[in-house]
Amino acid sequence: MIKNKTGRIFEIIFYPLVSILIFLIIWDVGVKNSELSVVMPGPWEVVSKFIQSFAVPIGKYTMVYHILYSLMRVVPAYIVGSLAGIILGILMGWYPVINRILRPLYELIRPIPPIAWIPISIVWFGIGEGSKWFLIFLAAFVPITLNAYAGATTVDETLIKCSKMLGASDGQVFKTVVLPYSVPHIFTGLQVGLSTSWATVVAAEMIRSTEGVGWIIISSMDTNNVVQSLVGIMGIGVVGFILAIVMRKIEEVLCRWNRIET
Amino acid sequence: MKKSDKKGIFLSVLSVIAFLGIWYLCTKVLKLVPENTLPDPVKVFSTFVDKFTNPNPDGGTLLQHMGASLQVALTGYIMAIVIGIPLGILMAWNKYVDRFVRPIFDLIKPIPGVAWIPLMIVIFGIGLQSKAAVVFFSAVVPCILNSYTGIRQTKEVHLWVARTFGGTRNQMLFKIAIPTALPYIMTGTRIALGAAWVAIVAAELLGSTRGLGFMIQQARGIYRTDIIIVGMLAIGICGAFLTAVLGIIERIVVKGRKSND
Repeated sequence: MIKNKTGRIFEIIFYPLVSILIFLIIWDVGVKNSELSVVMPGPWEVVSKFIQSFAVPIGKYTMVYHILYSLMRVVPAYIVGSLAGIILGILMGWYPVINRILRPLYELIRPIPPIAWIPISIVWFGIGEGSKWFLIFLAAFVPITLNAYAGATTVDETLIKCSKMLGASDGQVFKTVVLPYSVPHIFTGLQVGLSTSWATVVAAEMIRSTEGVGWIIISSMDTNNVVQSLVGIMGIGVVGFILAIVMRKIEEVLCRWNRIET
Repeated sequence: MKKSDKKGIFLSVLSVIAFLGIWYLCTKVLKLVPENTLPDPVKVFSTFVDKFTNPNPDGGTLLQHMGASLQVALTGYIMAIVIGIPLGILMAWNKYVDRFVRPIFDLIKPIPGVAWIPLMIVIFGIGLQSKAAVVFFSAVVPCILNSYTGIRQTKEVHLWVARTFGGTRNQMLFKIAIPTALPYIMTGTRIALGAAWVAIVAAELLGSTRGLGFMIQQARGIYRTDIIIVGMLAIGICGAFLTAVLGIIERIVVKGRKSND
């Protein structure tokens, strides 16, 4: 479909703005004219507080520091978890013996959501960073292993047979066929793992922490400060959104050959 | 093929036994870790059996906690399905709905369900409603997203054919678009179920008086690691069971899927 440029700008900027504005107005009117006004603040207050939070500290730190603290918990554990997940997943997918040995153990921990590990991780690693890293590790590891495994097992048989016929060794088949074939699957896993990691760090911070975006929310619950709670929700949403976009951009660059035709 | 399969199963069984054996060796025989940090597998198993009848120390048997969690999770989950799927379909099918709802949905989408907990507690209190609302927020996102994508996958050619034969827009939606989207929608409900189950555990960790999340949080307070592990196993088993049930439903509803794959 051919569209003129102004029409597209109209579509991308104008409609969303109007729709969000209408949403905020409904929120404003709804809160002002009902009993909810006792507990629920209006949208303008929340938005202005959110913008302020970048300069005025909440608790000990400003919003930027809270976000950085949470990210510092997520990133190292996420990287370790994804590396472990990719390696294990591909090994399980490619070597039946490893699959037979490790799969049952993996299946034992797979259905347990990372959030359910919170109490025991606190018992094992204390309330410091260790328990949070452990949780993020799990949150990243489980979906990434699953996707890497799916990638390695769904490799087109024909491709393997072709390369074998042309005299490729097992290692070559693995390196040049199986690995590239699994990459899109692995990226799906990385996306899922990143969003569960982010959700988990928020949950972990809500259980026990002294800083971070999850802390913003939970401390607001203790002080009954709903504005702060909503500011925290906005912060979490914005960071989650940015993380997802960054991941998608990385995937677009690395898997340029795999663009799905739409 | 038969023979290697037998050998494979043997390996799997051996691996689980070895795992339990090492666990037992480290805890009970060598005493590498104190018992309240990691109890031995026998103790966990006996606690598991015991918890079916013994309401101590957290005031509910395992089945009562499970029932409480399931009740809330399914309430929120069903609400999410009933609202999410039609909304997703409507968004994909109707330009105006899409323009209005999409930006708001994009705002809400990246927020993990867990983050809603304090707000929902303020609005609904700590009863069933607030937890169901948290579950709803977690589960509705994949429902909307997948039904939206599903409808968008409809082949233009099929719609043209329908139009050529004089199909109305409603017929096109119900006879073509929705059947096309059905596998996607089912996948969405499966993801949503997982999300719902995670959300309920998180909600119970933070504020509740019954449920599996509550049970493990209480057990942590009094350092009963065996109960924590039992709770985690129960959470895992319930989640796996629900997913299996949904898988059966999916196989019944989506008949044409296998041939497409």
